[in-house]
Amino acid sequence: MSLTVFTVAVLCTSLGAGVVGAILGLGGGILLVPILTIFYGVDLHYAMGASIISVIATSSGAAASYLRTGLSNLRVGLFLVVATITGALTGAFLAGVVPTRWLELILGLALSYSAYTTIRQLADELPEDVSTDGLAIRFDLEGTYHDVRLQRDISYRARNVAGGFVAMYGAGVLSGMLGIGSGAFKVLAMDYLMRLPMKVSTATSNFMIGLTAAASAGIYFSRGDIHVLIVAPVAIGVLAGAYLGTQVMAHMRNTTVRKLFLPIVVYLALSMILRGLGIHLL
Amino acid sequence: MPERPVFPVEHLVARVLLVGGLLGLTLISLGLGLYAAHGGFQGHVLALSPPVAGATPPGVFRSLRQIAVGLRQRPLDPLAVGALGLVVLMATPGVAVTLAIPGFLLAGDGRFALIATLVLTMLLVSLLLAGAVHG
Repeated sequence: MSLTVFTVAVLCTSLGAGVVGAILGLGGGILLVPILTIFYGVDLHYAMGASIISVIATSSGAAASYLRTGLSNLRVGLFLVVATITGALTGAFLAGVVPTRWLELILGLALSYSAYTTIRQLADELPEDVSTDGLAIRFDLEGTYHDVRLQRDISYRARNVAGGFVAMYGAGVLSGMLGIGSGAFKVLAMDYLMRLPMKVSTATSNFMIGLTAAASAGIYFSRGDIHVLIVAPVAIGVLAGAYLGTQVMAHMRNTTVRKLFLPIVVYLALSMILRGLGIHLL
Repeated sequence: MPERPVFPVEHLVARVLLVGGLLGLTLISLGLGLYAAHGGFQGHVLALSPPVAGATPPGVFRSLRQIAVGLRQRPLDPLAVGALGLVVLMATPGVAVTLAIPGFLLAGDGRFALIATLVLTMLLVSLLLAGAVHG
């Protein structure tokens, strides 16, 4: 493929991935890896390298804005990322020891249940009752942001912090073992278990995914999986898209963000179940 | 629940992410622009798979030393400028957490200074383990 055509096409694609990633708290790998490999014919190693850069670019572009507006909660992010990175390190050591097909199947079923709960919560704009979780109070896992769409300040406090921490550790283990991104799991744990407002969940996930990606970016770099001419249009497009996405998300309802998130959960659930059955979509 | 103003540490981390992102973006764009100006885009058919023999293709840098060599050589290797931008982007989250530590300490929040230190330590351990496995 001509370099000029490739650069322009990937730049436009990445712009879209950045917008979606910033709104949904995902790194864009779930979108970019299949697109780069299937539609552009990029080798999987280079596509994974581009994906890890796209995660960091989405995070930097989106979290910079979300932290300033209070949508992203730095304390919640740092607290939970301890569990995620610990889990990822555990998963990296367990890889090859524990059979992954059973894990994929279990994960697929867990995600199917998450999809069901997401459907049940579709109409919930904000959590109704105030949390009295001891850990949330002790670690100050609460916040306030101005909701542009609702035109009022929203105060919240995390619930079930211990459950969320364990779920983040599990997500990290699976991420380390199966080599999958865990942005979607982070959002689900914060939305469903910790009952944070959906927009806070995706915005905080945006901050966290940058840290977890940074932890593994060095591997891809030293392996030679990061090709400047492939990654450069991805990084530029995703950064610009992430900035646009933050502007769009600020004007959305929590329920709209959750509706947009649902197809991602369903896709992940199906792909994990199929992988568990030995059928790989990619 | 008490109203809490947006904490200054959030602003500090946001600023680092913004500056790191923009600096990385500028260097990557500059690298691509210089590559185009040197005729790199003319008739270039991009190889989308790694070479079988294990040789390093143009545009792939495996270490900071290789990038430094590309930046020092004359004429300058434009792709090394782009690679430097990617390294800046990769380092940005780590730098943000590093600066959050004194930010939390100055704000009198020793508990989260400790948590940020723990996160930074784990990032460094991950890098060292990656180096041990793949280096």
